[in-house]
Amino acid sequence: MDLEVLIENVLNALAAGITIGCIYGLMCIGLGLIFGIMRIVNFAQGEFLMLGMFSSLYLVTGGGILAFLGPYIGPFVGALLAGPIVFAGGALVHKLLIARVSGLRTTGSLDEGHFGQLVVTLGISLILQNGGLILFGSTPQTVRTPLASSAIEVGPIYGDATVFLNKARLIACAIAIIVAVALYLLLEYTRMGKALRAAADNPTAATYMGIDTDKTYRFAFALGSGITAVAGGLMAVYLSFGPFVGLDYVIIMYSGVVLGGMGSILGAFWGGLTVGFVQQCSALVLPPQLQNAAIFVVFLMIVLLRPQGLFGRSAERA
Amino acid sequence: MTKLSRRNTIGLGLAGAAVASTRLKAQTPAEVKIAMLVPLSGPWARQGILEQMGARLAIEDVNAAGGIKSMGGAKLKLVEYDAQDSAEKAKDAAQRMIAQEPELVGGFGCWLSSFTLAATEVTERAGLPWLTLSYSDLITSRGFKHVFQSSPTADRQAEEELPMIMELALKASGKKPTKVAFVGDNTASSVSFMKAMRDHVVQQQGLTVVADEVFTPPLTDATTMVQHVRSGRPDFVVFQSTNVPDDKLLADKFAEFNMRSDRLPKIGGGGHWAVPELLKNAGAENLEGIMVGLANWPGKNQADLEKRFMAKTGEPWFGHDSIFAYVHVMILKEALERTGVADRRKVSDAIHALDMTDGPALFFPDGRLKYDEAGRRVGAKLCVVQWRGGKPVPVYPPSIATHEVLWPKA
Repeated sequence: MDLEVLIENVLNALAAGITIGCIYGLMCIGLGLIFGIMRIVNFAQGEFLMLGMFSSLYLVTGGGILAFLGPYIGPFVGALLAGPIVFAGGALVHKLLIARVSGLRTTGSLDEGHFGQLVVTLGISLILQNGGLILFGSTPQTVRTPLASSAIEVGPIYGDATVFLNKARLIACAIAIIVAVALYLLLEYTRMGKALRAAADNPTAATYMGIDTDKTYRFAFALGSGITAVAGGLMAVYLSFGPFVGLDYVIIMYSGVVLGGMGSILGAFWGGLTVGFVQQCSALVLPPQLQNAAIFVVFLMIVLLRPQGLFGRSAERA
Repeated sequence: MTKLSRRNTIGLGLAGAAVASTRLKAQTPAEVKIAMLVPLSGPWARQGILEQMGARLAIEDVNAAGGIKSMGGAKLKLVEYDAQDSAEKAKDAAQRMIAQEPELVGGFGCWLSSFTLAATEVTERAGLPWLTLSYSDLITSRGFKHVFQSSPTADRQAEEELPMIMELALKASGKKPTKVAFVGDNTASSVSFMKAMRDHVVQQQGLTVVADEVFTPPLTDATTMVQHVRSGRPDFVVFQSTNVPDDKLLADKFAEFNMRSDRLPKIGGGGHWAVPELLKNAGAENLEGIMVGLANWPGKNQADLEKRFMAKTGEPWFGHDSIFAYVHVMILKEALERTGVADRRKVSDAIHALDMTDGPALFFPDGRLKYDEAGRRVGAKLCVVQWRGGKPVPVYPPSIATHEVLWPKA
């Protein structure tokens, strides 16, 4: 392989890895938030991603209320608005189902509610998948924008080597970073953020300090669902999706969360970024069909060498 | 001599009438049942629904034209079963179908090769003649007597596709391509298709493979694969993806890297490359010029039927899945006309004996309807459609072509 081709291959893989990784990072934050604060392994997280995609689709396309924004701005505003919609749905799911198998209700129980949580979240996942099939149908959908198939061309850098930066993913990546930073500021500097961290560290003590832990957990679950839905809305701009799309990404989410450090929230972002990066760059040396295998090789190596996760301090709870 | 009592006389009379009535009914049933087993829910539901639309139109046409004439105008009735989303469920549905509908004389399905393989294990045991559009060569390699495969098998498609593309390229551009790139997934049908390509077809055509990218579906991104293709500078690309989301990602990514079909010709394989939802997902501009190798497509001779189908269903065109369902109903009708009785074994024998170049044969691009001993359609050929202005139009073979193929000159 000549140098020009090598440079072009490496630079394009890096660009794709970073942009996709940031979106994966945001997707992982949602799951990391729920696990970090509530200690719930949420099997329905992939379905919240799917709901984010469909929320954005119905807001933006056809007679959607954002259709007037056109195909350049509408899909990204739709992705952001999918967050509050799924946030509300997440809060409802918590109130009706999750709250019964988590929080103070299960404190001191033999399994701390984990068995119940597994069954309930798995059930929610199945209901949302099949309900989605009834409601949305099985035809693949996408939130169309011309930006998904056009790129900013950087170069030629060396010889004819050119870097193609996909416009839709570049915007999605910027939005993902902004949302992640906003979440960080919320957790660090607001009263609700402090309540979330207190409820994560010691729910009983937090209750004695006057924090309504049930309400705090509901907010955390809804926020985690909403953030993953924003990531779903951003992915809907360049991917085709259906009611079962969550299954394809839930493994990536868990890998990102474990890589970043179980229980860490911002570590989950770095974990997701690493997954995207490994997925793209591994194809430089391995056949593309081994992209996902490469993620798990890196995942196992990190678990073996740093069981607390990739980013040291991120093993701490939120 | 024993005298018959009044009660016995009435009883005998009623029994005789019942026997006569049953015999009459067996000879000219009011309706004859055929089955359709396709995915009507789950990820492949759309393909099943496209088949359903074609089959329902065919049933309407047969009945409106007087039903099965050799059976006194018996009406054809379609019973529909859902193969759902796995081979196991398809097999269960086939068992249910056989148990619940003992009067069935034939059927067709199940679109996906793995579903067809499972379901035909059941239909074969029941002696039910079964027609399919599925591509896998395994379907008709098991020594079954009552399974009929109307498409060219996957390995034959591989052997036919490249020579056909080379011929089209030479005719359209005056230049023979020398470099090819492959992008395909690692599902069963793609693997068997690509195996034949790699083993001998490319060598026979004097082609050099400059990129050979195999991925595990679903695709999350195609950047590195498309980058490899770009680096290889091929004369054309062959796609062997197997679903609309992956097709969309590939079409988008090639457009992003300035390799639309006006600069780099592309050939996709399978009905999913020519469905309306791909247009909705990928957009007309990114699909423009992409060619698709298929086992069947309505040509210029089916223009009226296409119009009726579009008017009835609201679909933008009459495509691969729908025409196969339509023709399969017509083949069963033809076999029933020849047997004159609702007997599945005789219907199966009649399908084996068919050798036609008219009637249902005209719905195939090669214009012949004959199945060999194994159940494969003799002379089944691929056809090619090309995306033009947001619609796939047939460009090969000449018997169905409505447009000349577009191939970039340089």
